[in-house]
Amino acid sequence: MATEVAGYRTPVRPIVSRTRVVWAAETFVGVLFFIFLLQLLLGFNILDSRLWAIYWPAFGRGIWGTLWFTALILPLSVAVGFVLGWARISRFRSVAWPVAIYVDFFRGVPPIVIAIFAFLIGPSLLPQRFQSGTLGITVAAIALALHSAAYQAEIFRAGFQSVPRGQLDAAQALGMTPWQAIRHVVLPQALRLSLPPLGNEFAVVIKDTSLLAAIGARDLFGLALDAQQNLALTPGSDLRWFLILWTAVAIVYFVMTTAVTQLLLFLEHKFHVRGIEAISI
Amino acid sequence: MIRLEEIHKSFGTLHVLRGVSLEIAKGEVLVIIGPSGSGKSTLLRCANLLVEPDQGRVFIDGVHVNRPEVSTEWVRQQVGMVFQSFNLFTHLTAIENVMLGPIRVSGLAPQQARAKAQALLARVGLAAKANSYPAELSGGQQQRVAIARALAMDPKAMLFDEPTSALDPEYIREVLDVMTALARDGMTMIVVTHEMGFASSVASRLVFLDAGLIIEEGRPEEVFQSPRHERTRAFVSKILR
Repeated sequence: MATEVAGYRTPVRPIVSRTRVVWAAETFVGVLFFIFLLQLLLGFNILDSRLWAIYWPAFGRGIWGTLWFTALILPLSVAVGFVLGWARISRFRSVAWPVAIYVDFFRGVPPIVIAIFAFLIGPSLLPQRFQSGTLGITVAAIALALHSAAYQAEIFRAGFQSVPRGQLDAAQALGMTPWQAIRHVVLPQALRLSLPPLGNEFAVVIKDTSLLAAIGARDLFGLALDAQQNLALTPGSDLRWFLILWTAVAIVYFVMTTAVTQLLLFLEHKFHVRGIEAISI
Repeated sequence: MIRLEEIHKSFGTLHVLRGVSLEIAKGEVLVIIGPSGSGKSTLLRCANLLVEPDQGRVFIDGVHVNRPEVSTEWVRQQVGMVFQSFNLFTHLTAIENVMLGPIRVSGLAPQQARAKAQALLARVGLAAKANSYPAELSGGQQQRVAIARALAMDPKAMLFDEPTSALDPEYIREVLDVMTALARDGMTMIVVTHEMGFASSVASRLVFLDAGLIIEEGRPEEVFQSPRHERTRAFVSKILR
């Protein structure tokens, strides 16, 4: 027998080394510094009450709108993407082939064009009793989910395919059914590998909800456009007001995407396997 | 115990097994040798139906098992398998690897499965490594965990597919020791290996497979020292240095 080194453990090098508290503090300091910089460079008071009076109401509603679209698109796109990613590696070509076309189609067309198409023709395809003023926008949001699902299908496919064939062999050699083998052996490994690119895609999904403004959605971006119009009509407003408006918009999107990507990073950390260490250069 | 009758298997146009018959009695240790591409692994995988033979019949304990009526999963529970590349589940610790089959397939309670897995890890000399992940173990340790994992299903026979070929030389001994102990305990084993020392001291019978056919069969020392066939002689002279 080989010599056993008692209690030996590979030192764990966590993917997330900063604690949540440090991270929050850094963000806070960063934002403060940014505001300070703005004041200094532009000689502008960000807390000017006249400015906030113009677009604060729009902001509140806009954030809810963006959250609502995100809540609709994100889960839907994950569910569809997961199923499609699975279907994509089916040994039945009649299943895999249509999915390949689906992926190619949605990857090749700009999401804003897809949203406009869905807005124009979507409602007329649905029965009368579903009709309402915002139906077109909802259909367009679903179309955006289908667009992202094409990307996520590729992410999940890569995850599945990076699990070596031998893992399935070993599971089946124990007497597991194909389903058990996939559920208990392949999936946990495939999903862990899918997490980092999923974080990327989720950030894109959140930001791309802004495209719905093109068809009149009252989300953060859409209402910020409205506020910009109001500012332009307000006597005494100047460039700095617009800069503040869009900076605030950027910060809100940043906070939303960061919240989601941090959640995924947390999961990545949780499912981290000791001994499989990332390279660092 | 295990009987293979006239097994044929092709992958595409490649005719890998061309009518192989093999029988192994309870408690016997059979070693299969042969050049790469001769169909050794495929033959082994036919014995637990990880590969479905195109023709021929597989019997386990007298039951004809490669029929649609027989559950493939049941067959695989009867025959454990150890792979060349270990194939430990990378997301599970050593003990979880050993527990997974008993819990998910045999329906054992997690508490009992853990106790059983701990005992099996002790049997392969790895009680202290229960909570290590495969990536934290040496090749030899991984292969011993893989043996414990297969044993956890209480198989009637074990298949070893070149269990030491992927190991650094210093780890081969520990795996062979575990296999030898297993054979001494009366386990029925089919082993594909080129470890001639192991074959000589442990195997009751040796089979030389070439191009999908059994060329020669006999006691290990007979085959090594006085091979009857030219091809066996050529192969044996290459691996006995």
